[in-house]
Amino acid sequence: MIRLVRSELLKLRTTRLLLWIGLLILALAVLVISLNIGQDSISHLEEPSAQHGVVSFAAISALVALIVGILDSAGEYAHGTATQTFLVAPLRERVVAAKALAVALAGLGLGVFAAAVTWGMAALWLLGRSVPVHLVSRGMLDLFLGVLAAAAIAGAIGVGFGSLVRRQTAAIVVALIWLLVGEPLLSVASLQQYGPAHAIAAVVNAGSRSSELLAFGPGLALSLAYAAVFCVLGAAAEKRSDVT
Amino acid sequence: MPDAPPVEVRGLTKRYGSTVAVEELSFAIPAGRITGFLGPNGAGKTTTLRALLGLVHPSSGEALVMGSRYARLRDPIGTVGSVLEAQGYHPGRSGRNHLRVLAVAAGISVARVDEVLAEVELERVGRRRIGGYSLGMRQRLGVAAALMGRPSLLVLDEPANGLDPEGIRWLRTFLLSFARSGGTVFISSHVLAEVAQLADEVVIIHRGRLVAHEPLAALTARAAGGTVVRSPDAERLRARLAEAGVEAVEVDGQLRVGAPAERVGEIAAAAGVVLHELRPQTATLEEVFLELTAGESQ
Repeated sequence: MIRLVRSELLKLRTTRLLLWIGLLILALAVLVISLNIGQDSISHLEEPSAQHGVVSFAAISALVALIVGILDSAGEYAHGTATQTFLVAPLRERVVAAKALAVALAGLGLGVFAAAVTWGMAALWLLGRSVPVHLVSRGMLDLFLGVLAAAAIAGAIGVGFGSLVRRQTAAIVVALIWLLVGEPLLSVASLQQYGPAHAIAAVVNAGSRSSELLAFGPGLALSLAYAAVFCVLGAAAEKRSDVT
Repeated sequence: MPDAPPVEVRGLTKRYGSTVAVEELSFAIPAGRITGFLGPNGAGKTTTLRALLGLVHPSSGEALVMGSRYARLRDPIGTVGSVLEAQGYHPGRSGRNHLRVLAVAAGISVARVDEVLAEVELERVGRRRIGGYSLGMRQRLGVAAALMGRPSLLVLDEPANGLDPEGIRWLRTFLLSFARSGGTVFISSHVLAEVAQLADEVVIIHRGRLVAHEPLAALTARAAGGTVVRSPDAERLRARLAEAGVEAVEVDGQLRVGAPAERVGEIAAAAGVVLHELRPQTATLEEVFLELTAGESQ
């Protein structure tokens, strides 16, 4: 299994996918944080909660990790590399497990990168506007640890979902539609906090209280359960399917 | 299973919905030889090979490699190397990195990657992205991947596709040398002339069913059925053959006789006719193939 995880990590490292993803996170962080801090009032920015809110943009890494997971698993079919992957490792459930672990590790890396970029950008903007910086706190540490965990879990969910759908574009479109339309609809039945995106948001929100989200512990447990369920379903679908 | 044939297909059937791709197909190929796998387009060759390699699930029956299902092999790519049609590559990854990914997954030393790249003469372009490779270079990369685990069996699906004449010659030389060193080759191809130069025996399928499986020489001889005779006394021989009820026609100084060589030899000996040549009349693989698969719409 370790060999398969190393192989999957090598796959991720030997294309430009992560480079482009990193540049995307950087560009979005520059844009969003500049707009937030550049346009906000000094008095509001002086509040630690406002600074916490700005830096929470690092949670974008969870969405990005989800897409990386989909690209990693469904992309095997888009590029036709699934054949060689399963020739080397014919037990397909092991491949799905290795991919989930590898993309979770990549998600951790993306989370660290996004946290560093957003923290650095926020600090520079706050100093530039002569606002007292409250970016070193227990709450900030909780946020960043939550971001790392969320990105890792979202990556594993992406792998499971991509393995289940096995069509790259369709999987990404369905995931985005779910996030934008499907999950908000759960609020009709007051079930929104149990949706996968809200469960992951509860992990990011570690240390803070929100009436719309589960507490950190249940949120983490539910997110991990979603990752496990999607990976099991994805592995079952891979195992049953014909690679033609 | 040490005594198991390298490839054994038993009652294999594969249906896609209402379409039957392969039906009750059974054959086994011997070790240390090159076996051609022939059939018209859509005959079920690729489905059979993919079932053999665990990529397609049989509807019934089984396809075994060295007596085991592919998924149960302890060292899959160390047992069988395969080059399949429609095998894809990530265009942004270099050929060398593509092989490194496979090597790491299989627990093979990365040094082997450079060895196989050299073996298929791709070492100069190994660090280039596959997106810039020609079709022939991709085929060679597929062969490199197949060789990575030093397997004793190669399964190849249309490996000559996209290769230029030089590449085809390289592939032929390589496969003959692989078989001479004790390896087994199972190769599907629609280039019959190529298979005729390579194969010791052939498996021919048609509409998913087996229509022939025998040594190439026997197949082409049996298909023709007649005998070619050269004699300085051809006219007398023809008369004696006619007396025995055997028809013979002269073509280019040879008699083409519609009887087995044994019978022609006996008649000639009884008549005291000297023979300079007596051999079964053979047909080309293409002629045999077309005869066996007649009626197939291409």
